[in-house]
Amino acid sequence: MLSKLLKYEIKATVRIFLPLYVVLLVIAAINKGISALSPNGVKVPEVISTIIYGMILVGIFVMTLVVMIQRFYKNLLSDEGYLSFTLPTKTWKHIVSKLLIAMMWTVASGIIAIASIIIVAYDKIFANGIQSALFDPIEKYFSDYGITGVIFILEALLAMVICLASSILLVYASIAIGHLFNRHRILLSLGAFMALSTVSQIIFAIAGIAFGKALQTDYFGINNNFSLDPTAHITMWCGIIFFGLLSAGYFAITNYILSRRLNLE
Amino acid sequence: MSSILECNGLTKNFGNKTALSDFNLNIESGRIIGLLGPNGSGKTTLIKLVNNLLTPTSGEIRVAGMKPGVETKKIISYLPEKTYLNDWMRVHQIIELFTDFYEDFKPERAYDMLKRLNIDANDSLKTMSKGTKEKVQLILVMSREAKLYLLDEPIGGVDPAARDYILSTIISNYKEDATIVISTHLITDIEKVLDHVIFINNGKLVLSSSVDEIRDENGKSVDALFREVFRC
Repeated sequence: MLSKLLKYEIKATVRIFLPLYVVLLVIAAINKGISALSPNGVKVPEVISTIIYGMILVGIFVMTLVVMIQRFYKNLLSDEGYLSFTLPTKTWKHIVSKLLIAMMWTVASGIIAIASIIIVAYDKIFANGIQSALFDPIEKYFSDYGITGVIFILEALLAMVICLASSILLVYASIAIGHLFNRHRILLSLGAFMALSTVSQIIFAIAGIAFGKALQTDYFGINNNFSLDPTAHITMWCGIIFFGLLSAGYFAITNYILSRRLNLE
Repeated sequence: MSSILECNGLTKNFGNKTALSDFNLNIESGRIIGLLGPNGSGKTTLIKLVNNLLTPTSGEIRVAGMKPGVETKKIISYLPEKTYLNDWMRVHQIIELFTDFYEDFKPERAYDMLKRLNIDANDSLKTMSKGTKEKVQLILVMSREAKLYLLDEPIGGVDPAARDYILSTIISNYKEDATIVISTHLITDIEKVLDHVIFINNGKLVLSSSVDEIRDENGKSVDALFREVFRC
């Protein structure tokens, strides 16, 4: 059932994102063409196309956020929920399918955004010495740290993925909490969002200070020094575990409400 | 005959409003049942509770002996009073969705009915009129071979000509061991197909009786009895 839900979740969202990505890349290419062709002094077309490009770039991230919220709210808690919740499948599978696809589009939007920036500015990247400024530190990083460096990057990527999951689940849990009430559900969802994020930040700060003390060193200092002794790995793993637990908590709230406290209007 | 739907002490409050209170019901399988009552009597609330779309305040529900969950969703075919169709699919895509998720869904039956009602399977759900959407939903629901059909106001929004076709579709598409619950206040239109009626008012069961009994004992039609019981 999960694979079928994933399939329909992709079908429902691909028709929004694919055209947006194509438009962004095309506008990036046009922008590149205009700035390469426009004679010196004539800046108006270049400025206009850059503004359009910038707007679409921002628009893609806004859309990623909007679709993430809309797919969860509209497909599960509005009239469409009458179909979603009468499909013979467990509630957690709905949540997981929506989470995975929302994460997929966030990552895809990031990759497409970087690709478009490369299109717009590749000659600037590969000229003017910026290239060495960008790539030399990366080379130095790998030659200095070797395999531990690679492992650290993988850990950082894992931490980012878990962090992304926890942010999305935070939104889901907030919407679900708003759903517990008979009235003012959207307002109360916003309230739940602020309360949940504040509480988790307080826990994060306390855990961070406690962790720093436990290591007999300044926790935040490790991050800044970026040293790759074992404490760096331990720090990263503590972050992964922290955001993993946070995700599990938000998931549990969402799943409990949607499966035990569901009251569709 | 076995019990397909059982409610014991079922109560549902919304805030301080009571939609169903201490509702008890036992429906045996193999019948067509009219769930009748005035507006706001609790018909939709009852059906939504059975579908697990609402959480009971207290009491319990059993569908074929099971608590509402994945297993009961497999055997219930539910037509809500709302339009649950999304706005981005075409008719044939929603048929594919039903085929994917419900083992008892018969796509060829759905395509037959679409043809009969002149609905193009390539039409987008977004551009359809409300009445056409209701027809599509009913086709989807009746193309399943479910054990229990819960139809909430199935004929409320469609024209009288389509109403007749829909009713005959409902009757001809169901198997002997299946049960159909039809909620409505348009009694005269459906009276002829009902085996059993349930009257509900203010969240309470008023009457549960077979149509033959009503005719024999009261010498009245269901419609006449309804008007008498629910006189304003």
